[in-house]
Amino acid sequence: MMIPVIAYYVIFQYGPMYGAIIAFKDYSPMKGVMDSEWVGLAHFQSFFESYYFWRILKNTLILSLYSLCFEFPAPIILALLINEVRNKRFKSIVQSVTYMPHFISLIVICGIIKDFTNSGGLINTFITYLGGDGQAMLQKPELFRSIYIISDIWQGMGWTSIIYLAALMNVDQEQFEAARIDGAGRLRQIWNISIPGILPTIIIMLILRIGNLLSVGFEKIILLYNPAIYDTADVISTFVYRKGLLEFGWSYSAAVGLFNSVVNLILLVLANRLSKKFSENSLW
Amino acid sequence: MRKTKKSLLAVLLTVFMILVSLTTACSSNTEEAEQNSAKQGEASQKSNEATTYPIQTDKKLTYWAGLNSNLAGIKSSLDEVPFFQEWQKRTGVPLTFISPTAGQQNEALNVMLASGELPDVIEHSWINFPGGPEKAIKDGYILKLNDLIDQHAPNYKKYLQDHPEVDRMVKTDTGSYFGFPFIRGDESLLVFQGPIVRQDWLDELGLEMPTTIDEWYTVLKAFKEKKGASAPLSFLSDGRLAALSNGAFIGAYGINLGFYLDNGQIKYGPAEPQYKEFLATMSKWYAEGLLDKNIATTDSKTLDANIITGATGVSIGNAGSNLGKWTPLLSEQNPKAVLAPAPYPVLNKGDVPRFGQYDNPFAVNGTAAITSTSKDPELAVKMLDYAYSEEGHMLFNFGIEGVSYTMENGYPTYTDLMMKNPDKLAPAQALSLYIRGNYFGPFVQDKRYSEQYNVLPSQKDAIQVWKTEAKSTKLPPITATPEESTELAKIMTDVDTLVNEMTLKIILGSEPLSSYESYMERLSTLNFDRAIEIQEAALERFNKR
Repeated sequence: MMIPVIAYYVIFQYGPMYGAIIAFKDYSPMKGVMDSEWVGLAHFQSFFESYYFWRILKNTLILSLYSLCFEFPAPIILALLINEVRNKRFKSIVQSVTYMPHFISLIVICGIIKDFTNSGGLINTFITYLGGDGQAMLQKPELFRSIYIISDIWQGMGWTSIIYLAALMNVDQEQFEAARIDGAGRLRQIWNISIPGILPTIIIMLILRIGNLLSVGFEKIILLYNPAIYDTADVISTFVYRKGLLEFGWSYSAAVGLFNSVVNLILLVLANRLSKKFSENSLW
Repeated sequence: MRKTKKSLLAVLLTVFMILVSLTTACSSNTEEAEQNSAKQGEASQKSNEATTYPIQTDKKLTYWAGLNSNLAGIKSSLDEVPFFQEWQKRTGVPLTFISPTAGQQNEALNVMLASGELPDVIEHSWINFPGGPEKAIKDGYILKLNDLIDQHAPNYKKYLQDHPEVDRMVKTDTGSYFGFPFIRGDESLLVFQGPIVRQDWLDELGLEMPTTIDEWYTVLKAFKEKKGASAPLSFLSDGRLAALSNGAFIGAYGINLGFYLDNGQIKYGPAEPQYKEFLATMSKWYAEGLLDKNIATTDSKTLDANIITGATGVSIGNAGSNLGKWTPLLSEQNPKAVLAPAPYPVLNKGDVPRFGQYDNPFAVNGTAAITSTSKDPELAVKMLDYAYSEEGHMLFNFGIEGVSYTMENGYPTYTDLMMKNPDKLAPAQALSLYIRGNYFGPFVQDKRYSEQYNVLPSQKDAIQVWKTEAKSTKLPPITATPEESTELAKIMTDVDTLVNEMTLKIILGSEPLSSYESYMERLSTLNFDRAIEIQEAALERFNKR
């Protein structure tokens, strides 16, 4: 019974990893992985020495931290709120409405964001109506992170909240009853029963999230950014896209990808260890 | 004693045997080589006779090419397009088409090359391949075609012999031919893009056709204040003011947006002092609302909307794909609206613009190269050579006689099926079904196509109005060596990022104009001088061809 499982991992998970060695080579598909020339750490070096290295690293980290601070709690809060709703119909409507955006394709989402934020767009029309000054928001470096995070929350919040709602279902209902008898209000119940009840789920999700800290979703940035906002919008993966995919630098992209994965792995291990130390929960 | 003798003998014997085997190996090699050259000799003799089409073959070739955007929504693949069906029938070579997603040619090609599984023929702008076509050949993606063209492409070869100036452009510094190119066959086809203005607004406001930057300022201001245009000047930007890259507006300052030729010297516009003046004007126009507020994000969809709704009075576009598209759409909204081509702006009245759109006869797009893994390169060459023959030329430019064109007094005239399509297809769409003339591809474009394609009087005028001296400032298709190009790419990625960012920030006003100097200092730290050096070396090699 174990053989298919092992075969799966060897063929589809570990097998392709050997391709990572192209990061140390001057890879040419026609020569193949084995026959391409070794160049050692040259690609890593040219990435670290790149003029924009610090800026893209900073942007990547900031965007990741923002999403950790704002995006991560959003579905938890939503789940707790939905859980408190007693009217079944209203509850299901709220749920459907909030997780609908998850099914819209990213290209459409970005089109909507662009249309809404340009100088004649919906948001600006509203601002001018209130007496403000309309401006093309995607040309303002200081607004990019907010636009990115807010739209991300809008798109993903409802969908991710399902996992927390499921966890809430499993919280023992008798505890709530007991608390109510003891005179605990709604907020107290949330604080002392609901949150501790789903804490293991939260921590597992958090550890997983930290393991992806350096992997900002680049498709969305590619679709939204322009040179005017490189200052805040240019991240490692978009830089690699411009450099690697448009200039055919496979080895270079592989090197940066490997760097990304190593940092992510270290963060994941650290987060797991910390969590093990301070709470009962851990991935392994 | 006996023992040593024996072993000595053994050694001698072995040496002898090795020698024998070596010589036989050598001789068999030379024999083979002789046989090969004899075969080639035969083949090159054969080349004097042209291939007879259709070729009798049972092989099927795979062909990678983009789908003409005019066909969007009409046909989903090249197999269904009558032109491509006819082409296969006439050459006798069955083709399987693979088309990349529109707008993602580069990415799709990249993925395909990385996979190592290549089709027989790839249409691409190979001159822009990272590292140049020389590297594409060296890395084993595509074939060097010199011998194959000599032997099997008499039509193409003849064209190059008759047009030495084109011949110089379509090969690399070392003289390798890398593909079958798209050639604009007439001087009148080389200019097709320039400023476009709302003539009816000018007339209504009693304004002359502007020529200088100051006059343009007056016009834009009037458009904004009296015609309520919210984005008086708007053009395709792609984040780097793409529509200006041929020299519209920026050319007035005696520079261009990228590399250009100045009395035989290579210069880079953003590094020249006049660039600051250009930025000053643009940021002033932006601040006063004369330039599209969304200029960094303007794409063709937004631009079309701007023009059609009257938000924009001045743009930059092509005679065919823009003037031809906007005019009917605009007159649907407003019957009085008239779009007209405007001359490239200059600084002082009476100057002749030095910069403007001007294409080299060898247009970079749509060069069909044959891959190194091709099952039958000879057949592919023969198939591609057809387009450069008399008959192929007519098929590519005018389509099928009796269906898409008829001969009237020796002039191929498009039929009503093309120009007044019963299915309500615009001429551009209908033509795209039957010809390749209005799209790039491996053939020679005929001017009689554009004489009919550009039907509006404004389109016919455009070529005259957009005349500039750009021929003297336009860089020929130069290529760096594979070694240099890695270095050049590394420098230019950083330089492009810096310049695009700086340009937009100053124009949008998020950085003051005074920051231009500090940007220039940073440019020198990016090793920019080396980039110029590489380009100059490439130009020198080109001139020596």
